[in-house]
Amino acid sequence: MLGPNGAGKTSAIRVLTTILAPTRGTFAVAGIPSTRPADIRQRIGVLPESAGYPERLTGEEYLRYHARLFGLGKQSARAVAVRLLAEAGLPAGARAPIGTYSRGMRQRLGIARALVNEPQVLFLDEPTLGLDPSGQRQVLTLVRRIARERGATVLLSTHLLAEVEETCSRVLILNRGRVAAEGTVADVSRQAAAPRSARLRVEADSVPKAFRILTAERGIRVVEPTDGQPGTLALTLADKQDSTSMNAALCALAEGGVSVLFFELEGARLSDAFLAMTEAA
Amino acid sequence: MVAVESTARPRAWAVVTGQELRDLWLGGRGLLLSLAFSGLLSVLSYLVATNQALNFLEQRESVNLTLQVAIAVGAMLALLGGADAISGERERGSLESLLLTPVSRLELTAGKLLAALSLWIAALVVTIPYVWFLGRGIGIVGDALATGALVGTLLAIFLVSLGVLVSIFAGSNRVSLSVSLFVLLALFAPTQFPTSAQQGWAGDLFLRANPLTAGEHYVGKIVVDGHHWSQDVSWLVSPAIAAALFAVLAAVAGARFMQLSGDVSR
Repeated sequence: MLGPNGAGKTSAIRVLTTILAPTRGTFAVAGIPSTRPADIRQRIGVLPESAGYPERLTGEEYLRYHARLFGLGKQSARAVAVRLLAEAGLPAGARAPIGTYSRGMRQRLGIARALVNEPQVLFLDEPTLGLDPSGQRQVLTLVRRIARERGATVLLSTHLLAEVEETCSRVLILNRGRVAAEGTVADVSRQAAAPRSARLRVEADSVPKAFRILTAERGIRVVEPTDGQPGTLALTLADKQDSTSMNAALCALAEGGVSVLFFELEGARLSDAFLAMTEAA
Repeated sequence: MVAVESTARPRAWAVVTGQELRDLWLGGRGLLLSLAFSGLLSVLSYLVATNQALNFLEQRESVNLTLQVAIAVGAMLALLGGADAISGERERGSLESLLLTPVSRLELTAGKLLAALSLWIAALVVTIPYVWFLGRGIGIVGDALATGALVGTLLAIFLVSLGVLVSIFAGSNRVSLSVSLFVLLALFAPTQFPTSAQQGWAGDLFLRANPLTAGEHYVGKIVVDGHHWSQDVSWLVSPAIAAALFAVLAAVAGARFMQLSGDVSR
């Protein structure tokens, strides 16, 4: 789930996790209707956006407590706590007070806590917020592993668009409390009305010829050289929805004897879709 | 030998109470408050014993004064525990994780309320040697402790419930603690009224209606005047009603209005 600050991501998660009551409408999580919030809570795991932790408890005590709240006996709760700490990469933190944990360790502990009840659906609200790149990678690796090995549905709210493209199968973009786009990453990227452009590099001495061929193409609106990058031309397509015009231009270059060394179509990435949809609104 | 785990599901309120007790007592906060309480009683007992030696105070009055202060301060500690129960979790960002468990909000409230009551139990235990020391030799130690335990427990239940109730609706922990203490001081204010204001049918009604003044009056009747416990039992009506009423109110408010934000209009 993507969206600018204030788009309603956290509110949406809080409604779906039964923390906030919806003002209108209904929903179901894991097939359980919103009229049975206690049953929904039995089947979900949640990492809240700004989760606080009891500083004096150890990681193991904290997980044991939450496992007990989900109805596990003392011995089962202890076994679950030890297993989840190992799964979250925190075995050394089992006996250390949470107050000594780094932010990354706390986030992984929070994810471990969200797993104490073997949830069918896992909600992670900005799990990488405030983490350094290494911490972000560790958390996202853990999330990928959870989804793969446990078969749980993971709903992730984040600002890391590149990671979403890598990690998520479906994307939902929220803007000002409304769904701006929803679908697979490719679908959402295509839905974006982002202006299509391309970058193309040819041999430096072929630039005038390539320029002449490309400006003659009807599908290309603007051709201009790129400063400081010899042989590179920036292209703006006349019709942003029509990708065949670019194919025609590339064919014309090949027929004209111009070797294309590099070509990249821009404006089809999730980040462009995100910006186009949230800024346009 | 193989250890077999009981298949019965743990009672959620008991799990919450257990965790809260560990946090309160092993975390050191409860011990620190009890130590401060003990220091206060030590100073008070010293002053009372000195006045007793100088014949300024009867022995029964010494016991009564110490017991009344112990009840008031012990119940206040319990009030503070209750006032921190929900708003404290909210402020530390740990309330959401608790609300996300399948434990009902009523059970969460009950668990926290019971744990906060332990502060009064500890205060009562600390009071025992002081009352014994001041009351030895005149045969009132048992009656004084039993009366103190009864009245103090009723007042502690009332004040813990009041604290929890305020905590459920308070926007911040500071507000919760301030409002709770203000209400407590307002309830204690009549004890400082001149005697003339406490006489007549209006004064009597006022003293009886206020659970704190009624409770302390009852303790005085037993300890100082040597009355039988059943003789002035009517003075226990308002502490008992306040304890029951506020416990129910706290439970209902916890179950219906405990939210991530203290503002229930959201």
